[in-house]
Amino acid sequence: MNRQPLIIRKQGWLEFLFHRPNVHLASFQTISNYPRIWIISIMILAVTSLAPLVFTTVINHQLIQKSVDSELVLQTDRVTSNAKRSMRFFLEERLNALQFVVNELPYYSLIDNEHLDKILSNLKLGFGGFTDLSIIDEDGSQIAYAGPFNLEGKNYKNQSWFIQSIEKDNFISEVFTGYRDIPHIIIAVRSETAYGRHFLLRATLDTQRLMSMLNSYKTNVHTDIFLINRTGVLQTPSTTYGKIFTPAPLKVPPYSDTTHVIRPEHPGKNGFIMGYSYIATEAVTTPFILMVHKKKSDVMGTWLNLGKTFNWIIGVCCLVMMVIITLVSTFMVNQLYLADQAKAETMLKMEQSQQLACIGQLSAGIAHEINNPLALINETAGYLKDLYQYPDEHRSDQETSELLDDILEAVSRCGTITSQLLGFVRQFDVQISSVNVEKLITGILSFHKKETEYKGIHVTTAISPNVPAIKTDRGKLQQILLNLINNAFQAIEANGCLDIKVSYLPPNKVSIEISDTGCGIPEENLKRIHEPFFSTKKDKMGTGLGLSITYGLVKKLQGTVRVESSEGIGTIFTVTLPVRNRKEGNA
Amino acid sequence: MKIILVDDETKFINMLARRLSLRGLDADVAYSGDQALEKAAQTRYDIAVLDMKMPGMSGFTLKRKLLENLPDIKFIFVTGHGTIDQNGIADQSNDIFLAKPLNIDTLIDTIRQRLDPDQ
Repeated sequence: MNRQPLIIRKQGWLEFLFHRPNVHLASFQTISNYPRIWIISIMILAVTSLAPLVFTTVINHQLIQKSVDSELVLQTDRVTSNAKRSMRFFLEERLNALQFVVNELPYYSLIDNEHLDKILSNLKLGFGGFTDLSIIDEDGSQIAYAGPFNLEGKNYKNQSWFIQSIEKDNFISEVFTGYRDIPHIIIAVRSETAYGRHFLLRATLDTQRLMSMLNSYKTNVHTDIFLINRTGVLQTPSTTYGKIFTPAPLKVPPYSDTTHVIRPEHPGKNGFIMGYSYIATEAVTTPFILMVHKKKSDVMGTWLNLGKTFNWIIGVCCLVMMVIITLVSTFMVNQLYLADQAKAETMLKMEQSQQLACIGQLSAGIAHEINNPLALINETAGYLKDLYQYPDEHRSDQETSELLDDILEAVSRCGTITSQLLGFVRQFDVQISSVNVEKLITGILSFHKKETEYKGIHVTTAISPNVPAIKTDRGKLQQILLNLINNAFQAIEANGCLDIKVSYLPPNKVSIEISDTGCGIPEENLKRIHEPFFSTKKDKMGTGLGLSITYGLVKKLQGTVRVESSEGIGTIFTVTLPVRNRKEGNA
Repeated sequence: MKIILVDDETKFINMLARRLSLRGLDADVAYSGDQALEKAAQTRYDIAVLDMKMPGMSGFTLKRKLLENLPDIKFIFVTGHGTIDQNGIADQSNDIFLAKPLNIDTLIDTIRQRLDPDQ
């Protein structure tokens, strides 16, 4: 197997995303799903860093909106209240003038057309806005008239304004066209003749003047000021709602003679603010409602533009931050991946060297096994030589033959041991094959035969007869079992027990249980025994790799390891392996 | 000079005893620790040649037990391992360790030296 390219290679930026999966390394990696770690890291960083920014932006935006809103309300309120006061003053002033005329002059001088003409011209001069004047008796007949229209002798008996005004001292009408076809307002004042009969002094007012007065309050193009009557019909033209006398698509606001501001019902791009007030003079109420309409979007233009710029800046900031976050996360996760990869590679190399160490450990025992027959050969051959060196010694052919037989027997003992070892070691290279677990265990135990004898260890193996041969990597399984059995032998004191139980867990599992009556593993160490370099045999030769490699190997064979241990009583390692390896080709 | 050889390899130890007797050194043999203790109860041995690893009783245990009866006895250990077992060092004694297979002359020299260090 050529492992060189794994170790010396270019370390790409997105190594963790585009690496080729390697089953040999995967079993030693701490984290298996790097893309997921990457995405989680980006998300956590993004949320923690961008959330406060977005949050403050939203709050800020709302604050601006609020302050602009209240500023707008204040402005509308001011305009409405000013316009209302002017409007009221306009009407009141003219009403009072008429009042003055009827109170000051006797009836007979009022019905004199010439005199009335004079009064009209004086009123025009003093106040302006008057179109004509007329005197109407309580039957509705026009008695005197001064003005540009030829309306003399008309009867107003059935006109609604007449019916309303004859019942009151003062009257102000809606805007209407009447007989003359020009929008006008009627102001009427009731009085009595010397004979106790009622009569009206009626003046018509020019709406033009009223309109120009209202228009003077328009501070900008976004403001619309107009009048409606109490049924919502426009009394002056509106730039928003259309011509005079058309019904405005507005809900008539509830009565209030003070200024009110209605907030828009659907705020948004086309939002607006509406100020209104019912107009009432001191003497009489009027049918007019003053409306001030302010378009929000246009008034807030500056603010909205500022907000937009701000949003752009925030947006760009977020984008830049996202890019940085992504780059940093990618870099960090990649470093993590490379470190993990390096660790896995080291572990893989360790696994191979541990395999050798494992065999080395075996060899020490085997050398001892071979030394005994060698010593016998040495002594027997030495004795044969002695027989010739000490000539007075008696020697028979039969004895010589026996001695030579002893030598041959000892040589064959050595031969058995070496061939056993060779067979065992050679099998490390075998990949997937059918493995008889019983034979494997017996083979491993045979190397420990002398040790069990010396230490007086009681070894029992219980292999249930229905255990099938398992398809797996023989070398790896051998290494696993060697590690665990070697560990057990090291833990067991003299006269201890080693029990090996193999059982079949249908349908697809075989469990191998290795229990010893050794020193046990303290509870706090149990969780750490599979960590690399964790060793309690500090004073001895332990590298701390044995169990961690065993765990890695079992993982590779798609099995699991379970440990139970109580200090001073013993340890049970249970390895569970699949009968058929799912990824036979890869493992 | 009384010598006892202890090893579980019977043929080996018998052969060794024979070769020693050819060289004028009479030696008793025992095939286990228990047998050695039995023989030691009857004979005052000057020196014991022990195998370190034996079933039942190890060489070191046997040494301790022999010393109870024969405080002056000297020891030579024989080991199948090429190197000396770490446990032996903890003993802090002057015992000599020899590796198997043995050279008969080295063994005899060692025995002589051990019994009469002044030579």
